[in-house]
Amino acid sequence: MEFTWGLMIVIYLFTAGLSAGAMVTSNLALLYGGQEFERVSRIGAYISPFPISLGLGVLLLDLGSPFNFYRLFLTLQVRSPMSYGSWAILLFTTLSVIYLYLWLPEKFQILGHSKSSEKWKRGLAKFMPFLSVGVASYTGLLLNAAVRPLWNAPLLPVLFLVSALSTGIASVILIATLSPWQRARHRELHVLTKADAALIILEGLLILIIIIMGRLHSASEAMAFGNLLYGHYAGIFWLLIVGLGLLLPFSLELLELKDKIPVRWALTVTISSSFLVLVGGFFVRYIITYAGQMSGWF
Amino acid sequence: MAVRMGFVIITSRCIDCDACMVACRAENDVPLERTRNWVKSSGVQGQFPLVKEVFQPGNCMHCQHPPCVSVCPTGASQKRPDGIVIVENSKCIGCKYCIVSCPYNARFANPETGKADKCTFCLQRLEQGLGPACVQTCLGKSRQAGDLNDPNSVVSKLIAKYPTRQLLKQVGTGPNIYYIDVAVPEIPEGK
Repeated sequence: MEFTWGLMIVIYLFTAGLSAGAMVTSNLALLYGGQEFERVSRIGAYISPFPISLGLGVLLLDLGSPFNFYRLFLTLQVRSPMSYGSWAILLFTTLSVIYLYLWLPEKFQILGHSKSSEKWKRGLAKFMPFLSVGVASYTGLLLNAAVRPLWNAPLLPVLFLVSALSTGIASVILIATLSPWQRARHRELHVLTKADAALIILEGLLILIIIIMGRLHSASEAMAFGNLLYGHYAGIFWLLIVGLGLLLPFSLELLELKDKIPVRWALTVTISSSFLVLVGGFFVRYIITYAGQMSGWF
Repeated sequence: MAVRMGFVIITSRCIDCDACMVACRAENDVPLERTRNWVKSSGVQGQFPLVKEVFQPGNCMHCQHPPCVSVCPTGASQKRPDGIVIVENSKCIGCKYCIVSCPYNARFANPETGKADKCTFCLQRLEQGLGPACVQTCLGKSRQAGDLNDPNSVVSKLIAKYPTRQLLKQVGTGPNIYYIDVAVPEIPEGK
């Protein structure tokens, strides 16, 4: 069958969540982590603007009338999640660029640097978590508003939020481990890994609840979710989301937390577990976008 | 009472000639490979020799609570005061949100304009006092259109006389196409 919303939309849903998650990670590390977490916070700030900018780029390309996109910003349609979402991501992307600028080393802050920069940074760090939660969860509301059985799940925004935070943290762990300079230290990674593992448990539970609620709700919804469990998308669901996206990275993270990983494997395991979380997060968006369009009422 | 434009479709009178689809394409320059209306088949039902096949024509339901209108981020998708759901092309950005939100799959992305496209109730014909092209051309008189709130309209008289059903009523869209499955020997006079 032909899909109206394709890969571009999946990429956008994924990148928006990733950026929001990285932003929250950075903000919380700055506010509650103190000196020790400066690197984590900096990496989060460096990541944040880029995925969502890429996502907005492909979103623009997906439009049938891309030159008409400014129409989004001539109005606010309060009943359309896409309308208020557009305003939210516009604000988020702008502020995330400013936030990144404030994190640059002083010699790169060519537009001026003052004593108040630090104050601004903390101010943004206090505000951005709220905006990020909005950006991460409105994508769920976006799908909720389109009348499709699979997208009807009221917990979809929460699932997207948790998945966003999880992928955001994973991206920070990944970059922190990969970056040749200022490699994050063991203690910071330990805290991040712990948080990520907790989010994976939460995500698994949410998926479980969403599926059970869907299966019990109506015949149309039961069939839509059946498509994930044993139908057309079962392979992606069980292998790429449950297996590679949730169970495997969770087991790896658990081993890391218990220091069961030999030192010479530690780096590889950290990199692969965080990468797998990103893969899982991507395919959560993928499967919901595609299987959602496949599902209809009867 | 306010005007509420809608259709009555009598499935027992449809022979699946697809003239409504041809007429719509001719009237509205609908691109090939896409269509604003359709005729769906139930497939063969029953056991030989007691078999039957029902044809169910359809198009935009011009819903009372159209999800395509509420999700539109620019206000291009609108419900007119007379109940007809339209797309204002100059405002449409082609995000396709309305297309995925329609439970009847009544909309499509027009490959020539890049915008959302759908049944307009043949507005250009209504302004001249004519009915929609699909209704005029229907040789079995299966398709009927008019003001559902006007008790003297053909559609209201049909609804009053025969049992009707609407599609996906449980979804809450309030569709304005009423289907009649029983035999209708004579179409009443009316507006």
